[in-house]
Amino acid sequence: MNQMTSRERVRAAINHKPSDRVPVDLGSTPVTGIHCTTYSRLRRALGLPYEPVKVIEPMQMLAEVDTEVAEILQIDTIGLQLPTTIFGFPNCGWKPFKFFDGTDLLVSEFFNVTVDSNGDLLMHPEGDLSTPPSARMPKDGFYFDAIVRQQPDAEKRLDPREFAEEQVRLYNEEELNYLQSTADYYYKNTEKSLVGCWWQGGLGDIALVPGMSIRNPHGIRDPQRWYEMLVENPDYIRDIFAIQTDIGIENLKLYKQAVGDKIDIIVVSGTDFGSQRGPLISPSLFRSLWKPFYKKINDWIHSNTNWKTFYHSCGSIAMLMDDLIECGVDIINPVQCSAAGMEPDQLKRKYGDKIVFWGGGVNTQCTLPFGSADEVKEEVTERIRIFGKSGGFVFATIHNIQANTPVENIIAMYETVLGEKLCN
Amino acid sequence: MEDLKKLSDAIINGDVQTARSVTESALNAGIDPVKIVHDYMVPAMNEVGRRFDCNEYFVPELLLSARAMKACLELVKPKLVSGGVKAQGRVVIGTVKGDLHDIGKNLVAAMLEGGGFEVIDLGVNVAPEKFVDAVKNMDANIVAMSALLTTTMPAMKTTIDALKNSGVRDKVKVLVGGAPITQKFAEEIGADGYSENAPGAVALARKLIAA
Repeated sequence: MNQMTSRERVRAAINHKPSDRVPVDLGSTPVTGIHCTTYSRLRRALGLPYEPVKVIEPMQMLAEVDTEVAEILQIDTIGLQLPTTIFGFPNCGWKPFKFFDGTDLLVSEFFNVTVDSNGDLLMHPEGDLSTPPSARMPKDGFYFDAIVRQQPDAEKRLDPREFAEEQVRLYNEEELNYLQSTADYYYKNTEKSLVGCWWQGGLGDIALVPGMSIRNPHGIRDPQRWYEMLVENPDYIRDIFAIQTDIGIENLKLYKQAVGDKIDIIVVSGTDFGSQRGPLISPSLFRSLWKPFYKKINDWIHSNTNWKTFYHSCGSIAMLMDDLIECGVDIINPVQCSAAGMEPDQLKRKYGDKIVFWGGGVNTQCTLPFGSADEVKEEVTERIRIFGKSGGFVFATIHNIQANTPVENIIAMYETVLGEKLCN
Repeated sequence: MEDLKKLSDAIINGDVQTARSVTESALNAGIDPVKIVHDYMVPAMNEVGRRFDCNEYFVPELLLSARAMKACLELVKPKLVSGGVKAQGRVVIGTVKGDLHDIGKNLVAAMLEGGGFEVIDLGVNVAPEKFVDAVKNMDANIVAMSALLTTTMPAMKTTIDALKNSGVRDKVKVLVGGAPITQKFAEEIGADGYSENAPGAVALARKLIAA
């Protein structure tokens, strides 16, 4: 087969057609990325000069994949992301920051942390130090996690609209201009496939429930209580989802006007539905609370654009696959093959002609961080053999490449995917 | 005893209000608190575990049942203590150092309590020496550790090493769990057991105590 451009390669894969090689994603989304400390070591292992690493997502501390690395690893995708963060501050005006392990980073000028008596880092909504912190990174840790800030009397007055509007609002002119000019730039100046990181279909995404960007969040903000409310008060949840979906679809219209069909993929939702052993919630609850809204969003996208819909859910979601496909999910990520019922050959056989697997490349909980380079090669070869058959596969690790992952294993992984030596 | 059947149902259905009110009336009527726990609360939580195991119940239902059970236990506990009743065993539980995730750990703690164990919850980001101190000072039989991150899994081994170095490793059984943990990892670090879910942790704790 003739050599394809990255864009052609990804387009073939997401349309279930064969390509010259399996397309590869790294860093186009905050669920297919790499931790900044690991990235810094990877750059050096690839023979690139030591440079501070830009942190593109400050909660998981993900690196921006620069053009040098993208070229060496032959990455086929590029993310279209607004320069905002999960903490509500803009990602701009870069300043140096020394990580716990000594790695030199560049972070947003609004990345303002305080240090508590244990040495933990505390992050504040919108980077405003006068507001109580909304996230914490333990001393010597690698990631931030939400601090639960549900107001004590929150349950006395539950207002779905208030919650929904704190989660999502209409795009402003500046954001739309950014989307338009960035999509134009990437489309004209690269041959990569553009991934639109929209995310607003992430209804009840547990990472967003605590409202880390909000100074004074209302409603149910405690993740544990949120899970209980799904069963105890589904009307509250459904009303929130309905309002978020309506705002989301208005934003999709604006997004479409700004980027048109320059993007190939739209990332819709990051809501996790699976644990290691099965779904977190019952399939019937999924059908009643999520499926109608997902269908509404996917129907709009399919009626008005050529975009493929990308859904991220960790864990075992085998029991939900039929429902996801029925409501119009085109691409599933991260394909956590180690979870119950998520065996690659079974998934490919049952759903391979209906859904694209974006991920599933290697286990980042076990093989990649703790296995040998040979074990990595073996697993990657097997996954490409199974998932790559007749298209419908974009290679990515199962969720982000984590901190403390040996770079030799990462290089072994890319050498296996690309079929060539990357360094001597 | 029709009233107390309502308690089992309330726990199974995750109805916190009914669980509380039925327990209150039962205690007021002078019913033996041990009977409330052993004949109604523990079997109800066993049933919840069974439903979870066969995919009738999922995380929200498990959390709601645990909540109802805790409301009942809060009322019964003071009477059990004054009556000098012995728990099945005493568990020190926590999420290991560097890790702040607690939903899974909280569920295991609640299920163990609902299974008749006394549970001392050390919270999250628990340093090895805190586990050691708790074992020494609280006379625990079981140490249960949770981790969600691949970067914090090694802290489980560090904690087991700390228990060894302080000479208390043989006094306790060590259980581990959390998303990236496997049976193989548990064996490698010298833990006594691993469970992939909360009801399984209760069964494991019972087995280890009986051994």
